[in-house]
Amino acid sequence: MNDRLITKKQFAAATVVSLLSPLLRLLPQTAVGFAGRGAWLSFIPALVPLALLTAVVTSFRRHMRPGEGMGGLILRWLGPVLGRLVLLLFTGWFLFYAGFILRSGAERLVSTIYPSSGQGMFVAVTIILSLAVALGDLRAATRTAVIFRAILVTALVLVIALSLPNMDAGRLRPVTWRDAGPIALGALPFASVGALTACFTFLYGYADLPRDGKWHLWPLGTLLVLGGLICASVLSVFGPELTHTLTYPFFVMIRSISLGDLVPRIEAVVIAAWVGTDFMLCVGLLRCAHEALRPVFGYPKPDGRPMLDLGGGRYLLWLEAGAVFAASFIFDMPPWQLRTWSDRYIPLASDCVLYGGFLLLWLVTIPKRKKAKMAQQKASL
Amino acid sequence: MKRLLLFIYVCLALPVLTGCGATLSADRHDVERLLLIQTMGLDSGDGRLEMSVSSGLGPEDRPSLVMAAGAASIEDAIARLQNYSPENQLFYAHVQYLLLGEDAARAELQRVIQWVDRSPTLRMDTDMLVVKGAAKDAVVGSSQQSTDITQRLASLNRQARSNGWTMHTLREVAAAISQGDGALCMAVSAQSTEDRVFSEDQQADAIIPEGYAVLDENGLVEFLDPETSMGAEILTGDPTGFLISVSGDTLEILDGAAKIEGRFDERGKPAGIDVRCELHTGVLEKAKDSTLSDEELEQALSRTAGRWVQDALDRARAAGCDFLGLRAAVLKKPSAAAAWWDEWQSLFPTLPVTVAVAGHIDRSYDLAD
Repeated sequence: MNDRLITKKQFAAATVVSLLSPLLRLLPQTAVGFAGRGAWLSFIPALVPLALLTAVVTSFRRHMRPGEGMGGLILRWLGPVLGRLVLLLFTGWFLFYAGFILRSGAERLVSTIYPSSGQGMFVAVTIILSLAVALGDLRAATRTAVIFRAILVTALVLVIALSLPNMDAGRLRPVTWRDAGPIALGALPFASVGALTACFTFLYGYADLPRDGKWHLWPLGTLLVLGGLICASVLSVFGPELTHTLTYPFFVMIRSISLGDLVPRIEAVVIAAWVGTDFMLCVGLLRCAHEALRPVFGYPKPDGRPMLDLGGGRYLLWLEAGAVFAASFIFDMPPWQLRTWSDRYIPLASDCVLYGGFLLLWLVTIPKRKKAKMAQQKASL
Repeated sequence: MKRLLLFIYVCLALPVLTGCGATLSADRHDVERLLLIQTMGLDSGDGRLEMSVSSGLGPEDRPSLVMAAGAASIEDAIARLQNYSPENQLFYAHVQYLLLGEDAARAELQRVIQWVDRSPTLRMDTDMLVVKGAAKDAVVGSSQQSTDITQRLASLNRQARSNGWTMHTLREVAAAISQGDGALCMAVSAQSTEDRVFSEDQQADAIIPEGYAVLDENGLVEFLDPETSMGAEILTGDPTGFLISVSGDTLEILDGAAKIEGRFDERGKPAGIDVRCELHTGVLEKAKDSTLSDEELEQALSRTAGRWVQDALDRARAAGCDFLGLRAAVLKKPSAAAAWWDEWQSLFPTLPVTVAVAGHIDRSYDLAD
């Protein structure tokens, strides 16, 4: 095993931590909006589209050369013109989405803890820190993700355990066969968040990952189970109708938690810890954008150079960070408007890019894959 | 390069190391200036809201700061309160009790729920009470040099727990009314103690429990009298600790449970509700001229408690407001829930109810026995 490569455990940790941010942005309200009291079961049908996407991603993974990510593969298979065009489209989406993550993270922090503060400070600090990390070794970032995962999962378990006295399992019932349709629709936000794992295929060139897709299901499964747990706990505290109307029901639930008289309130710590997920996702998307853009100009991998070295295409990372910062101003809007973007347009666009884009790529590259397979068979003979 | 970065980092850190001023964020406050508000009251009328607050007794018996401000909105009223106490930063993260005046409970309940949801400091799990009359009267009237509304409500809360009453939180109320059911909330009134308490520095108004208020998504529906409230508590909660006077004898409920079941016709439609209650009691005091045997006392207890339970059920059906949680109890089977869950509000007021209460005397503390 190469010491410079990211291990599959580190990669899984980075995936889980990054996606906890959109997971809590959409859950439980969006799922409850579709599935009502059955939203806590919606993570089960979400496995179907996610398994399909995993199969598609795995089929690409098998054809990647050592050290190559999705960017390299797209350019190799689609050719210099179409390949570059597709890569530019992916780059644009990653930067746009990172801008949205910055702004929605800022809005969440400000509206839940610092109501009199502006979002600008949060946005500026996060993009500066993200750029600093993105300019460094990617493996260091994933090691940070392992620490974040431990903190966040512990916080999540602690929050759910401490909320147990306020939970009423009766609020999760009745769920009948008539709810099957709504529960299936409630899988949409789960599937939308889970699909973001496909973004990280652009970073496969830095990781030592198995070529089969089984390991891919671990971070996905962890995310889905955490999402189901979050839905079940919030629903059992507030009931479906109230959950749907509250602004951030999970954080409203945390606000009621105290460790006796010892620690009367813990929400500031937990919500602040959640900033780590926005930060990790922002770093991930910056590097994904760079890995999509780098092959377009034929630059080498940016790792292993001094932080402020602009050579080897590293200047692109600065430009990408600037683009993310600029994109964040598109979402400088009132909270209710940002909520509409967050619940409707962004998941829809994300699904189109990730499910639509990867499926289209899979269809377009069927002859290439057949050819590659035949070549492999010939070589083995 | 590292030294340059370190220098930049130190320069950036300097402005935030100068104390809790509002240099970088208006949310930063000196701890010494924070004044913790512990009880809030809200009244409404003539299109205006009136917010009254009490800070609770401070250390070394520092008297409570009690203020009230009227405005068009809650936020505006809070801003005005801050103007009345510029030397302190009013801090609402430790509010323990939220009092709604009768009119505010009737008209502003949804506004309060939305406000607490949006507030970064207030908790949904704050105990909520409905005041018969104005909340301001309770907040202001019960505050004195050595006592205040928070102290009185804390005492009421302790008493309520041992006497069978339940103090509900805003979250419990909001969750129940948002799903179309009704909710119970403790009702209180402020009463003068001038002719009851004779130490001058203790003559603040007393906060007296008045049973439960019934709330639905539109606000206050009605007040239940204490006996009907006991019936509601027997059906929904844990009535352990209730004192019941039966034919002059005083009984204490030691244990109680209610079983609510639905009757269904051949098509599976709910056709009635059966309620069975078991009350286990102990005799605390016997009247001097009491002639009832234990069996007769048990029968009288069953009749009395049965009447309260029946009253609570009748009030729920008459108001068309399921504040007793009958829906979840009757529609337990998935097939029944699938068919009738959404139709329950129109269905349950028409369902006949049978009530059977079995009272038991388990022990007597009366030395005459």
